[in-house]
Amino acid sequence: MVTTLKRAAEAFAEQQDEEVLLGSPTALWKTALRRLFRRKTGIVGICLVGFMMFVAVAAPVLAPYDPQEVLIGKEKVRKRAPPCIHLLGCAIEEPQHFMGVDGNVRDQLSRVIYGARVSLSIGFSTVFFAVTGGMFLGAIAAYWGGWLDNVIMRVMDVILGFPSLLLAIAIVAVLGPGLRNALLAISIVTLPAYARVMRASVLSVKELDYVAASRAIGASNTRILLVRIVPNAITPIVVLATLGIASAILDAAGLSFLGLGAQPPTPEWGTMLGSERNQVFSAPHLVFFPGLAIMITVLGFNLLGDGMRDALDPRLND
Amino acid sequence: MIGYITRRVLVSIPVLFGILLVTFVLARLIPGDPCKAILGEKATVETCERFTKLHGLDQPIYVQFGLYITRVLQGDFGNSIRFSRPVSQILVERLPMTIELAIGGLVLAILVGVPLGILSAMRHNTSVDVATMIFANVGISMPVFWLGLMLAYVFALMLKGTWLWLPPSGRLSAGLTSTPFYEAWGWTVMAGTAKAKLLEFVANHYIFNALITGDWTTFKDAVRHLILPVVALSTISMAIIARMTRSSLLDVLGRDYVRTARAKGAKEPRVVGRHALRNALLPVVTILGLQMGGLLGGAVLTETVFGLAGVGRMLFEAITARDYPIIQAFTVVIAVAYMMINLIVDVSYGFLDPRIRLE
Amino acid sequence: MTKLKHITSVVGVLAAMCLAGSAGAFEGKSLAAPNCDYGGKIKSIEATDQFTVTFTMCKPDPAFLAKAAFTPFGIQPEEHLDATGGGGEILGNPIGTGPWRLDTWARGDSVIMRRFDDYWGNKPKFETLVIRWSDSGAGRLVELRAGTVDQITNLSPDDFESVQNDESLTFLPVANPNILYLAMTSTFEPFDKLEVRKAVAMGIDRQRIVDHFYPVGSEVASHFTPCSIVNGCEGDTWYDFDPEAARALLAEAGYPDGFKTKINYRDVFRGYLPEPSLVAVEFQTQLRDNLGIEAEVVVMESGEFIDESTNGRLDGFYLLGWGADYPHVTNFLDFHFSAKNPQFGNVYPEIYEVLEKASTIANEETAKPLYAQANNAIKALVPMVPIVHGASASAAGAYVGNAHFRPFGAPLFDRVDPGKDTFVYMQNAEPISLYCADETDGESLAVCQQMVEVLFEYAIDSGAVEPRLATECAANDDATVWTCTLRQGVKFHDGSDFDANDVVASWAAGIDAKNPNHKGNTGAFEYYSYLWDGLMNAE
Repeated sequence: MVTTLKRAAEAFAEQQDEEVLLGSPTALWKTALRRLFRRKTGIVGICLVGFMMFVAVAAPVLAPYDPQEVLIGKEKVRKRAPPCIHLLGCAIEEPQHFMGVDGNVRDQLSRVIYGARVSLSIGFSTVFFAVTGGMFLGAIAAYWGGWLDNVIMRVMDVILGFPSLLLAIAIVAVLGPGLRNALLAISIVTLPAYARVMRASVLSVKELDYVAASRAIGASNTRILLVRIVPNAITPIVVLATLGIASAILDAAGLSFLGLGAQPPTPEWGTMLGSERNQVFSAPHLVFFPGLAIMITVLGFNLLGDGMRDALDPRLND
Repeated sequence: MIGYITRRVLVSIPVLFGILLVTFVLARLIPGDPCKAILGEKATVETCERFTKLHGLDQPIYVQFGLYITRVLQGDFGNSIRFSRPVSQILVERLPMTIELAIGGLVLAILVGVPLGILSAMRHNTSVDVATMIFANVGISMPVFWLGLMLAYVFALMLKGTWLWLPPSGRLSAGLTSTPFYEAWGWTVMAGTAKAKLLEFVANHYIFNALITGDWTTFKDAVRHLILPVVALSTISMAIIARMTRSSLLDVLGRDYVRTARAKGAKEPRVVGRHALRNALLPVVTILGLQMGGLLGGAVLTETVFGLAGVGRMLFEAITARDYPIIQAFTVVIAVAYMMINLIVDVSYGFLDPRIRLE
Repeated sequence: MTKLKHITSVVGVLAAMCLAGSAGAFEGKSLAAPNCDYGGKIKSIEATDQFTVTFTMCKPDPAFLAKAAFTPFGIQPEEHLDATGGGGEILGNPIGTGPWRLDTWARGDSVIMRRFDDYWGNKPKFETLVIRWSDSGAGRLVELRAGTVDQITNLSPDDFESVQNDESLTFLPVANPNILYLAMTSTFEPFDKLEVRKAVAMGIDRQRIVDHFYPVGSEVASHFTPCSIVNGCEGDTWYDFDPEAARALLAEAGYPDGFKTKINYRDVFRGYLPEPSLVAVEFQTQLRDNLGIEAEVVVMESGEFIDESTNGRLDGFYLLGWGADYPHVTNFLDFHFSAKNPQFGNVYPEIYEVLEKASTIANEETAKPLYAQANNAIKALVPMVPIVHGASASAAGAYVGNAHFRPFGAPLFDRVDPGKDTFVYMQNAEPISLYCADETDGESLAVCQQMVEVLFEYAIDSGAVEPRLATECAANDDATVWTCTLRQGVKFHDGSDFDANDVVASWAAGIDAKNPNHKGNTGAFEYYSYLWDGLMNAE
């Protein structure tokens, strides 16, 4: 994956450097977006992601109950009751719960809806930190080279040498369980990939003519970095980041499932799966719906990322 | 070539040292001490004082690290705090399980993922493309434990009594054991030597062992127990391999020499099969290396769900139990395996792609 | 004729005497502490003759038999202990007198045992006993239903109903006494105020917790110790649920609007807490709704949680419990409310002094008023709030004859009849080692006790002790000397004979820190240390 992205970045840079010198980067993005919308997988991806984001934003309106509200004494409903949908034949006297009731006697639909908020913010914030950190480290490693490059890349190698889930577990074990620490752990573990890609991109454009030209006219290093190099290197990063959101949501769910991420009573899909894992046969609805939600969201980001990669690769014919 | 390999190995050494150092420190940073972790709520204060002294955990960290490094360089990974057995012995017992699982997962992922990717690329941007990509991605988006339990429920419970029945956990059926090949062939092996450990390590790959001794009962039994875990684990890599094959093939199909072949009038399957595929599969080989390493370390959840005594699960338990020697040794072994696999992949890439010269 | 008979009989008697003499006189080994200053309960253990062992105690110990029947005090051959040094090989190769002998321990996978044909008692009806493990309740049940295992442990509470309604399965309630308590560390504010602790005691609706989160058979705790234990339920019952009075007390203490704190727990399944995260959130809800106390739910990793809570370092509430090791009230009260236990913060002489006195009284009736006094003191001082005695259950295939679970100890698989040659039992986890003198986890103990026997044994359906390797253990008047008569004609798995020296050697390896065989696995010999108040000759 990294190799293809690297080559895509190089090819891209070769083909587009003229455009960059003469035109603005936004023209390139406009073309890319057009092509993205023409791809079916991209469209499916956009739809799924859009749907989830809508659910997350509109949660207070969509959710019939408060996600933390314990219904003991308020409604006559059993712990872990299966879904009751009036339209599908459930008795009118029974309170309606589209996705059933969880182990603490709370409405599961509301928790799954609010869970979208938690999972999406997890995905975005982890990737944001990992990308910023990775881009920063990769850029300075490539631009300054020498011993700094060596040190930074060795540190990245050390992080990559660990199995990622286990390193995340170890970091969370040290810092203590909790959502914030889980986010930090996932960011640290995924950071090296972005650093490497950034470094490769920067290396490939570093020696090109237009950079030399900028230097010749006396532009400062920072300016060159920010204005010329970064916009070109950003393409593979964007694709990686979109895919990264998908895996961050999965990793966070995995950590929460193991009891190391989001803590009860936070409605996070992984936590919901983890606390009901032993009820998979007696109350399958409690395991099915959060799992389904994770799957749809992650699938959406994966398809979107794939679509973007195709759209941004200049060599693909339509 | 030799120069390249030597340089790669030399560069890996400081990285390995870094990994060992980080693991050492990180493990000890986890709050809570091994005594309470292992003995639980019944442990008393005096017991723990004695325990800590016995295992040398009361000495300053740099002393502990120094002692550890000297022993590792002599090949001694120390004894597990929890089991009081040599860590190398535990490794010999558990690594083969994970290796069998990882290889199985990778093979299945390739067998299903590559054809899916090819199909998807050839019918690119049609509903077939979308469908295959969604199918491949669905596996990667599902929590492994959920998939595992569902598979167990279907194949072990619902299909009970049919020929499709598969066991839900374990490595062999209850009461069945695997006879090591050196015993079956009547070799005499001196217990405790490095050679004995190596032979035991090989013999613990039950499927391979059963194959070379011709023990069909054990072979069939071991394979049956491995089917469900391999299917669950392969879903993780399958999507990545399918995706990779697809994009690489698409990439290649857009190139000049393919356009030339098409222009010359060659039919599509010939274009794909003869010209494009060989080149398209090269990047996939790179991915295989990364995937193998990832599978080795990331099989924790699969091993837990299916009750397989592998390395990933032992490492997770060791973190919980603060069994420092196991945490350190297993992490280093996984890291070394990962590096070796990547080195092999990079070197073979050099052989396969004539344009790449490893400088 | 008579003269010939006379001579033959004399010769016969002489011959018998010669044979007896040449067999060699029995040299009884013994073990003794230099004096009783080391603080432990045992003064000496002596093999007074080939089949008699005498235990001399420093202080009277009325619970001696109940404790000595516990698995860690199993007997292995003296020669085996000497040969292995009590460590290393013995961890994976125990030799006992039990109905099962070890065949293979396929590490990570299973433990396989075969019937011991020279067993002194009733031989098992089947040939092979296999122990396997899985840490998921749902996974264990799938295997039982699929027929790959014959009996499992620890059913998830939600599965109770479906197992009870399933004709192909037998539902086995497990009567192990336990207690869940809501602890407060009184060295932290505001738990240092007695009114605050009392308010919490009255402000929790414990019945609601039991009704919603515990399986049928669980009961609200009237006292800390379950009533099935003798002298456990003496004294007044716990406070009733009274939220108004609780709120008034809280206001009196200066917190009319409650306060902010934490509730800590670990996400580990136990009979007293089958669904930790659910119960923790329930406590959070009740504390907020009934008392206005805002408690943040904090999950801690198990090892860290035990370390912090048992050392009294947790600021806030925490959820912990206790499962009985041996059937005596000292196992519950003395461990938790002794002067040396820091887990609840302050210690109270009103409680521990009474307990210390009661633990030396042999007669249960005589000790009763003292335990009533201790329980009343616990209620008055509220170091913690006892919540529930949790019921747990397991299951077996309906075809398994005499499937059972004992209230103390693991099932006795030699009594079971599966109707086939191999019986498979699935527990929670793999044994850590098979040398149970130095193990504390139930999974190791369950496997050990099939192979290695103890002097007495817990009955199949109660806390009573029955003779096993000892036919009788008689106490003197004040329970300071216990004389145990051993069973004769018993053989170990390696063919050697069982006698008093094996008993002394096995106990010595555990209780005497200076014994050459005192190695084990962790070196802690935890149960020797805590049940007998300390190891001999420890530094």
